[in-house]
Amino acid sequence: MKFTLNGQSVALDVDPDMPLLWALRDEANMKGTKFGCGMGLCGACTVHLNGQAIRSCITPISSVVGQQVTTIEGLSKGDQLHPVQQAWVEHNVPQCGYCQPGQIMSASSLLNSNSAPTDEDIDNAMSGNICRCGTYPRIRKAIKSASQKNALNQDSEINDLAYEVKV
Amino acid sequence: MTTDIKTLSKVIPVTRRQLLVKGAMASGGLALGLALPGCSTSKSKMTESGSWQANAWLEIDTAGKVTFTLDRVEMGQGTYTGLTTLIAEELDQAPDSIEVVFASAAKVYRNKDYGLQITGGSNSISSSWLPMRQAAASARAMVLEAAADVFQTNTSQLALADGKVSVDGTQKMIAIGELVGLAAKKDIPDEPVLKASSDFKYIGKHSKRLDSLAKVKGEAGFGIDAVVDGMAYAVVIHAPAIGARLTSHDGSVLSGRKGFIAVSEIDSGLAVVATSYWSARKFANEIKAEWDLPEKPITSLDTFELYRETAYSDSGDSVRSEGDIDEGFNDASARTVEIEFELPFLAHATMEPMNCVAHVQENRADIWASTQGPDIAQVVVAKATHLDLDQVFVHSQFIGGGFGRRLNQDFIGEAAEISKNVGIPVKLVWSREDDMRNDFYRPSSLHRMRAAIDESGSVSAWDHHIIAPGVMDYYVWDAAPAMFPFAPKFMYPMLGKVGLVTAGTPMTPADTSAYEGANDLEYAFGAQEVRYSKADIGVPVGYWRAVGHSHNGFTTEAFIDACADAAGKDSLEFRLALLKDNPRMAGVLQLAAEKGGWNTPPAKDIYRGIAAHKSFGSYVAELVELSVESGQIKVHKVVCAIDCGTLVNPDIVTMQMESCVVFGLTAALYGEITFENGLATQSNFHDYQMVRNNECPEIDVHIVESTESPTGVGEPGLPPLAAAMASAIHKATGERQTRLPFKLA
Repeated sequence: MKFTLNGQSVALDVDPDMPLLWALRDEANMKGTKFGCGMGLCGACTVHLNGQAIRSCITPISSVVGQQVTTIEGLSKGDQLHPVQQAWVEHNVPQCGYCQPGQIMSASSLLNSNSAPTDEDIDNAMSGNICRCGTYPRIRKAIKSASQKNALNQDSEINDLAYEVKV
Repeated sequence: MTTDIKTLSKVIPVTRRQLLVKGAMASGGLALGLALPGCSTSKSKMTESGSWQANAWLEIDTAGKVTFTLDRVEMGQGTYTGLTTLIAEELDQAPDSIEVVFASAAKVYRNKDYGLQITGGSNSISSSWLPMRQAAASARAMVLEAAADVFQTNTSQLALADGKVSVDGTQKMIAIGELVGLAAKKDIPDEPVLKASSDFKYIGKHSKRLDSLAKVKGEAGFGIDAVVDGMAYAVVIHAPAIGARLTSHDGSVLSGRKGFIAVSEIDSGLAVVATSYWSARKFANEIKAEWDLPEKPITSLDTFELYRETAYSDSGDSVRSEGDIDEGFNDASARTVEIEFELPFLAHATMEPMNCVAHVQENRADIWASTQGPDIAQVVVAKATHLDLDQVFVHSQFIGGGFGRRLNQDFIGEAAEISKNVGIPVKLVWSREDDMRNDFYRPSSLHRMRAAIDESGSVSAWDHHIIAPGVMDYYVWDAAPAMFPFAPKFMYPMLGKVGLVTAGTPMTPADTSAYEGANDLEYAFGAQEVRYSKADIGVPVGYWRAVGHSHNGFTTEAFIDACADAAGKDSLEFRLALLKDNPRMAGVLQLAAEKGGWNTPPAKDIYRGIAAHKSFGSYVAELVELSVESGQIKVHKVVCAIDCGTLVNPDIVTMQMESCVVFGLTAALYGEITFENGLATQSNFHDYQMVRNNECPEIDVHIVESTESPTGVGEPGLPPLAAAMASAIHKATGERQTRLPFKLA
């Protein structure tokens, strides 16, 4: 099973029906993507497939062959955080932190397609990600602050950082 | 030791050296000469690597790097930042300059309030407030004495800040790392002098969480992320009903299949071990298992029937009795208010499902897990294996949500049993369905409440009868042996029984889990009786965020609202009149009311409710604004006021209030575990719903300035929420909500 993971080609010898989540975690040893429900209900496993947020727990690895997968580990450029991650730190978003890689992948996907999301846009893009610690109000603020920074700087990192994988 | 340990965490790299150090501690902290500051003159130590182990919490190396061993686990509530801030304050260096590692199980790390090494009960700051500052102040004093030798001066001429000791009025300076060899030879001071609060640089001011960076980068190592060389993956086929036992299975048909390693019968069911989680899960789905089912499987209907029968047949144990309530109820001019409340079982539903990596060998077991009770984990591993407590080494990890669930160590016992049976290290991962159906649930309960409102409109008599199971009945079996680590294993069941029999005596604390928050109300009633009847259908119950307060904050405050209504009074004014001698409770109510505009009319179709509750030492009031449209309750805004004494980290207090509001909102709108045929009906997030981003109200938190001792924040924001909502729903619909979750007629 060959695909591009965070900009690097990888080949994994696994069953084609293995969900991408488990291939990432247990075969590629990328532990940032989390298991929460196994049914695409909670969003903890969110990654990007060609820049779009998907739930990796219900995505068979065979369906990503030849495509670009980005995980939380691939979102920042070395020490340079993605603007969404930066906003997350600034707003003290994480509590237990378990769902946050998924939240951040959903939020960065949203900003990729919509640089100035309204509250309704945020509701639509983020309601598939459960946070049991209740960090929702801060997530909303952090997304808005990341989008404002984006508006201030049109060559923002948002466009060139995360979506290098875009075909 | 042959295991090579890898974790992906950059925050808490578990190196071989740390493992050895921690391992030595686990076999008896005192063996290393570690001592609590203030209670011993024993020497601190230099470690093999040349670092100074100042005490059980602090190690300083020759480069001046400070490593803090955190003994209260981080599950979102902020101990990682809060306790480090206490250390930082007394060492006078920035919190983010301190490296944090997680404590293994050792007596010195026990939570003083419980005699167990558990993190729970919202007491990490209150119970660490002095000891952690003393630990750091003691190290500081020893460093200053060492510097006094170097500079041939008096410690009063010296100051430690940012890792350097300077001599007053001179340019002389020496780095802390250069002093560790000398400092290690100094006596641990009996009573280290703590900083005056007026000199605090970080306490009450520091706000940035120290674990944010690792968490936004996906680098924080949770239990589920732990990796051990040569490990296999395990899943467990759990019983299809509470009390069912495995009788047979056809697991042998899997022999020879690619990736299959073994099936293993364990106490709770059948484990399937394979080379990956996914193949283990698939193999498990193929297996047919037969079970001996209980004669009468548990149902929710039977549960509440039992509670009602108990309510009629048993008047209950008195847990608070003041004055003569009959006088109030017999007063012909009084109005009587009566409500029966019904509250459901609840699952914890932490985002990180239960999991554990266990490596059981001939003479030791290593456990990597997200756990709220490492010393109780030692007990369950000892029970599941041939090993003694001091042969069990627990490597704590970041916790993907606790809320009390990880006080129970059942999943760790399962992993140990599987590793022992198959002879290799295993990573056990529960599915969400396993997690929801094998919880130690928040108990369900029945509350029969009665009050007399006299002619003046005050409560002359209050009678509250609680019918519920007791959490300690399920918890004591593993907890009691952890308190008595020298007791041989055959005594464990006896220790549990002694724990139950002696509950409420000086030997064992009473099990207040059903009535806390009901028998300690702050209101000045004319007379009151609070009674408790234990009734237990056999559903395993546990500690769930705010524990008894999660019921009683709702029932008592929703009932007060009904009383205010019967008295024809504004519910805020009614409360304040009963709180004349309680300025802190009255204070949060007034603050929430002021900030939430209680005395101004709400917007069209918006209804307000207010409630307040004291728990874990803190006072919280919440004002809710909601609307009810086409049978749907929508909460628009929650104004929260908290008085939790002295603040260590103001923003983490705010975060915990937000967290409690969302957690409480989920319980109020959706939370209900029901049982059919002995099994929880709910299994995943489609039928056990959580509040999501689109339903989250605006949450406006206000913190009372205070110089009182710090009190809890992880739980106290939860209890008042549902009651404030119930009051607003009553205004919107005229219906009095008497059960959770709310169901509109």
